[in-house]
Order: sequence, then structure tokens, then C-alpha cells
Amino acid sequence: MTSILRFVIGKFVRIATLLIALCLFSFLLLRYSPIDPVQAYVGVDMLNVGPEQRAKIAEYWGLNKPPLEQFASWGYAVLHGNFGTSMIFRRPVLAVIGERFAASVALMGTAWLVSGIAGFTLGVIAGMRRNTWVDHLVKWYCYTLASTPTFWLGLLFLMVFAVWLGWFPVGMGVPAGVLAQNVTLADRLQHLILPALTLSVLGVANVALHTRQKLLDVLQSDYALFARARGETGFTLFWRHGLRNVALPAITLQLASFSELFGGAVLAEQVFSYPGLGQTIVEAGLRGDVPLLLGIAIFSALFVFSGNLLADIFYRLIDPRITEEAAV
Amino acid sequence: MKAIIVILFCRKCRPAKEKGGEMVKKRSFAAVAFVLVMFLLLTVGCSRTKTENAAADQKTELILALGAEPEGGFDPTTGWGRYGSTLFQSTLLKRDNNLKIVNDLATDYMVSDDGLVWTVKIRNDVKFSDGKPLTAADAKYTFETAAKSGSVVDLNNLNNVEAVDDSTVKFILNKPQSTFVNLLVCTGIVPRHAHDKDYGKKPMGSGPYKFVQWDKGQQLIVEVNPLYYGPKPYFTKITFLYLSEDAAMAAANAGKLDMAAIPASFSKQRVAGMTLLPVDSVDNRGILFPYVKSGGKTDKGLAVGNDVTADIAIRKAVNVAINRKALVDGILEGQGTPAYSVCDGLPWWNKDTVVKDNDAAEAKKILNDGGWKDTDGDGMLEKGTLKAQFTLLYPASDKIRQSLAIAVADMLKPFGIIINAEGKSWDDIGKLQHSNAIVFGWGSHTPLEMYSLFSSKMAGIEYFNAGYYSNPAVDAYMDKALAAADENQANEFWKKAQWDGQTGLSARGDAPWAWLVNLKHCYLVKDNLDIGKPKVEPHGEGWPVTDNITEWRWK
Repeated sequence: MTSILRFVIGKFVRIATLLIALCLFSFLLLRYSPIDPVQAYVGVDMLNVGPEQRAKIAEYWGLNKPPLEQFASWGYAVLHGNFGTSMIFRRPVLAVIGERFAASVALMGTAWLVSGIAGFTLGVIAGMRRNTWVDHLVKWYCYTLASTPTFWLGLLFLMVFAVWLGWFPVGMGVPAGVLAQNVTLADRLQHLILPALTLSVLGVANVALHTRQKLLDVLQSDYALFARARGETGFTLFWRHGLRNVALPAITLQLASFSELFGGAVLAEQVFSYPGLGQTIVEAGLRGDVPLLLGIAIFSALFVFSGNLLADIFYRLIDPRITEEAAV
Repeated sequence: MKAIIVILFCRKCRPAKEKGGEMVKKRSFAAVAFVLVMFLLLTVGCSRTKTENAAADQKTELILALGAEPEGGFDPTTGWGRYGSTLFQSTLLKRDNNLKIVNDLATDYMVSDDGLVWTVKIRNDVKFSDGKPLTAADAKYTFETAAKSGSVVDLNNLNNVEAVDDSTVKFILNKPQSTFVNLLVCTGIVPRHAHDKDYGKKPMGSGPYKFVQWDKGQQLIVEVNPLYYGPKPYFTKITFLYLSEDAAMAAANAGKLDMAAIPASFSKQRVAGMTLLPVDSVDNRGILFPYVKSGGKTDKGLAVGNDVTADIAIRKAVNVAINRKALVDGILEGQGTPAYSVCDGLPWWNKDTVVKDNDAAEAKKILNDGGWKDTDGDGMLEKGTLKAQFTLLYPASDKIRQSLAIAVADMLKPFGIIINAEGKSWDDIGKLQHSNAIVFGWGSHTPLEMYSLFSSKMAGIEYFNAGYYSNPAVDAYMDKALAAADENQANEFWKKAQWDGQTGLSARGDAPWAWLVNLKHCYLVKDNLDIGKPKVEPHGEGWPVTDNITEWRWK
């Protein structure tokens, strides 16, 4: 019991300190970046907005206060659950994030699952059939994709499958001009496939290559040799001795890829005009929307942290030795 | 398309060459197969788009991709609709296709002799789309709310608004301002009874179209407002897609769009069933010169002035030496027009400001008369100890401005004027703009811009009169223009400020700027869609083209 308690408390302290440091750091970065939030907000209206009005904008959004005071009042509000109002959306930050994340979740979730399962399977197959044509094919595929930028592949898919073949829509999460109540699940799925495919196809490489390598190590170990000597081959050998051993690195990678998922989604969403957090992050950053950017920073930190936490928990389930070592 | 296939081919093949022989064979086979498939797809794609166009004729719906989404929503009190149609709301006044001011909600408006009181009579037959009548109280509410919103709506000169009766509203200003009319032109009137903090997400008004649905980050769907008092629009339903440039191009290629705004760099690509429509704009680019001699400082301690550009001979010579046509053809792919002022083609533009450019003889004469000679034979002109060279800054992220700066430097070199073109961030430009020449871009449907850029009162404020230009005669004309009772009267003064036969802020006069080009905004339009006569557009592409959306129809 104590080991679990210690585990939980340790994690809690870690995330708390991480968040405080993250907020302060992001705030300072934005503060000292060359972006002038008032100018960014005004945008092309530059010449219709006189100096007096600029002062009013700064006052309205609290941008005229000293930085420390801004940060303190923001921090105080956050502790009370109020993340402030986004400058560009003119809506509460939490509402903006919630809305956008809801749209991203389907995309990220699908891509994450498909790439994880496909990557693991491909890695296992390649490892078991080392140096055959299957292995070469998987390796070739992974090396190529590992060096392919997301947006480029996205544009390619868009051109081939949406423009030339016309199988899929060219963008967005719902059909153009169709009222919300008439949008079917099939419509949503059809719009999801292409961006999810882009992300999945790219996410495969990492997991597949690591799984393959680990499996090769396992197959060369003494216990695998001994198992072979007993006549175990193929699937039986993998099931009894390989699976648990290769699952650990795969799960680590897959759960650690929560952060890459965010980055990949940003690009895929841009290419496919898919409504999600990705587009929002870019806007918030470019236009110096401090409350929104800090809100997203906190949110994404929690998201990535929960990925790592899940990995820790899975370790304990899959490999009991980890828990025992901690208790010793 | 073919180029991309080749790129793909190379990407996938490159690693193969470095490895064993067997793999090379397999991969080249795969690559050849891939290319074959691609060509097959290409031919399939072409035949498909043709069949789709035939069905498009009768429909009364449009799907448009005209650029970025207004993230802040559709609330005029926080800045919605300042460019192009307010769509859901109607405005007191509007500009017709020649940018003349005409009535919308208003039946008449008058300005008091001292220019302080604007009285607007409004129609009494107008209903919001929920059936409630629109009265002067709604106009009062709109302007009062906008003044307090801390947004881009600048109403600092507005002292008070009064609703005299249901159809009369009175605006009382702190000081005369003929450009106040622009606020009446671009501020949509919101219903007092239905305006709350969520209004921007689901707007309601008395405009030609009614809000139906907004899928954030994706699309806006509107349908025609049956209670609209103006001429009925032809299209009953319009969907605006918010797509990135690449996605909009892809959607156009896939035959899904009736119209798309595209960057000029895409203008050479052909799209089946659509025609390229370049629309004139005052989205201009030009060179600002520091107007005063060096040595000054701003209150923040930034250097002001430049001895070379303070010499009128240099500024004038640059203006006549540049070949503006070559800049348009070479840099904008022909999608632009030569620029001679900040407001080419607008009602307050003075046609006399056009100077003859690409005139080497005249440029040399101006320099010679101004005392600039190459005495030491190093290819650079001198005047006493002063050498004819200065730095021209441009925002490093902007390809067009970079090309313009470099091209201008090349054009001036043969004359012995050496320009060092240098890319900087906007932040750096903000610090260096008072002592170096800068490639700026402006363009607006209000003459207030001219005031901001050339009034000595605006010297050193923000990015406005960064060169510290100052001419008492010009100031006097512009002050008269601001204080004028109506826009027609004001326009005469704005024109005189540019060139009155003796002096002015244009290249004919003091030449504090060398204007280079006006961009054209490029749209892909379905072959049979008639979008009427688009106005000269302001800085920024996309939404402004919707200004006359009620006039759009099939040919």
C-alpha cells in the first residue's frame, strides 16, 4: 500500500510543480516575445484605430498593468477555476478549449489507436520474419515515413484521394452547407478518415521499428533459445515469451506519443481545415492571446502528463517486477 | 501535378540507390507502378469534373471559400463587418460600387454647420428578422455599446448619441470629423432586445441574410432574410467555408466551390470550370522615406531622420526612376497595378498625382539639378561629403516586399543611388522606421488613412507618419477636410492635400513616399456566376468581395 501511496503523492507533487513552472515560463516567453498583443488584436484595422483606442484596448484586456501584477491576477483567477477570456474569440478560455478539444478528440483518438495497433503488429511481424521480404518492406515503409513531414503527406492524400479520386471530402469535419441536425455519423466518419489516416500512417513508424528491435533482442536471448530447443516456434514462441517483453517499449512509446499527437494534429488540422485545438494553438500564439495560450499550455501539459501516468500504471500491470523493486 | 509526382518518385527512390542490387529492382518496379497509377488517377480526375458543372446552373445555393474566419464572431459592436458586407445586420449608410456614400437604413442625414452634430433619419418600415421593428433606440444602443467594448471600433470622438424619436438619431461629436461617416457606413445596427454576450455567436439583425449555423473553424451557413427591406438576393442559401489556402485550392479543383479567394502565387494554375477574377485594390506597397535630416530623437530615444532621404532630389529621382510596370509583371505575376498614391482610384484620390515613371533622363536631371554628382567616379553620387546611399527595410517574412525592395535597389543602382535592402522583424522595423526607408503596405476605404500617414500631428505615432513628414499647407488642407460637413466637400480638400498645383503630399509635391504597386486580389469564380462589379478592395483579401453579395446571380 505504501508504495502506491508514495507513487500517487510523488506524481501529484511533480505535476503541481511542473504546472507552476510551465505557466511562469510561458508567461515570460510571451511577455518578452516581439508580439505586441494590442497590435496583433488590431490586425489589418491598423489605421482605423487611433492611439486613444489602443490605450482603451490595452486597458480593457488588462495589458497596461505591470507584468507581475498581470501574472498574479491571472494566477489567482486560475486557482479559482477562472481561466480568463480569450482576446481573439472573446469567449471564456475553458469554453474555447473544451469545444475545440471535443473536435480533436475523435481525430487524435482514432489516429492513436490505429497507429498503435498497426505499428505493434507490423513490428512483431517484421521481427518474427527477420530478413525476409516482409521485414524489408516494413523497414522500408518505416524509414520512409519517419522522414516524411505530416503536412506534406496530408497534402498528398488530399490531392490523390479527395481531388483526383473524389472518394473523400477535401476538408472540414462536416459536409459543407448541411445543417447540424442533418449531419449523420457516416458524414462525420467520412470527414474523419483522411486526416486520421494521415496521422496514423505517420505514427506507425516509431512503434514498429522499436517493437521489431526489441523482439529481435528477445529472440536472441537465452530463454528464447531454450524455448526453441523445446520445439516452440512461430506464434507459440511469441505468445509465451515475446509479447510481454515487447509490449513495454511499445506502450511507453505509444503513451509518450501523446505530445507528438498534439503536434501532428496541429499540422493535419491545418491541411484538412479540420476544426480542432491545433488551429486554435496557432492563432493564439501568432496573435499574442495570453489567456488562451496559457490555458492551452496547461491543458496540453496535463494531457501529456496523463499519457505518461498511464504508461507508469500499465508497467505495473504488465511487469509486476517494477512494483516489487519499488517496495524493496 | 506532374511535378509533384516526380518529387514523390525521387523521395522514395533515393535511399534505394545506396543499398543492395535486389532491392533497387523491387523499388524501381514499385515506383514505376506508382507513377502509372498516378497518371491513371489524373485522367480519371479530369473527366469527372466536367460532368459536375452541368448540374450547377439552376441551384440557388452558393458555396464560397473567402479566407479567414472572424473568430470574435459576428457582433458589429466589437468590430464585425468593418470590411465588406455586415450580412446579418444593416448599416445606416453604405458605399455603392463606386464607393459613393448612399443610404441604407437612413433616409437622410445632415451635419450641423459646426460639424459637431450628425442627425440621421432612418426608415420606419424596417424589421429585424424576428419581426420586431428597428428604431433609433437600437442605433443608439449599438453605438453606445461599441464605444465601451474595448475593440477595434474607434469611437473616441463620439461624445453622446441621442434617439430623438423612433426614426431620428443624433450623434454629438467632441470635434468635427468628416470621416465619422465611415463609422456610420461600417457599423451594423444590432437589436437592443436581443443583444447579449453570446450575440456574436448567433447574430440577428435586419440585413439581407439570416444566421443559420456556424461550425467554428469550418463553415458559416446563412439563408435569405424574408423580412429584408431591400431588393431580394438571388441566392437563398450561402455557405462560407473557412479553408486554408491549400485546402481552398484543392476544394476548387475538386469542383466543390462556387468561388474561392486564392493568393496571387496560385493565379497561374488553371481550374476546370472556374475563371480567375483579379479585383483591383488599394492594397498597396510603397517606400516611406525619412523626411527630416538626421540628429533627432523620439521620446523613446529612437533615432529620427536621414540626411540622404531628407533631400527632395533623391526622393523625386527614386519616384521617376522606378519602372512600376516591371515590378507588377515581375513580382506580382501581373496581378497588380502601378501605384502612385496611398488611395489610387478612391473618391478622394487626385488623378494629378500620377508621375511619369521609368524616365531615366528626368531622374538624372533631377539629381543633377539637386547637386548630386559622382565626383570620385566610384559609381555612387555625392553631394559634398554626403554619399547617395541609404538602407531600405522590409519585413523579412514577406516575400513580395522583399522582392520589391531588392528590385527597387537594382533599378536605382545605375543612377548612382545605392540602396541596401535588408529584412527585419516588425519589432526591429518599429525601432528603425524613423531613420530608414521602409517598405510599407496600406490601403483603406477611408481618407482618415491619408491623415494618419501624412499629418504632422501623427509623426512618430505607431507606424503612421514614421518619416516625420510635415508640410503646413498639407496639414491645413487635411484639417479642413476633417472639419468639412460632408464627404464630397471633404474629398476636394483631400485631393488638394495631395497636389494643389504648387505643393502636396504626393510624388508631384514633396514626395515623402515612393508608392510602388497596388496588389490585385485573386478570386476563382465559377464560369457562370456573375458577381457584379466588385469595388476597389482595401488591404486584406477575401471578405470585402461580399460587399455586393445581394447582387450576385447566375449569368
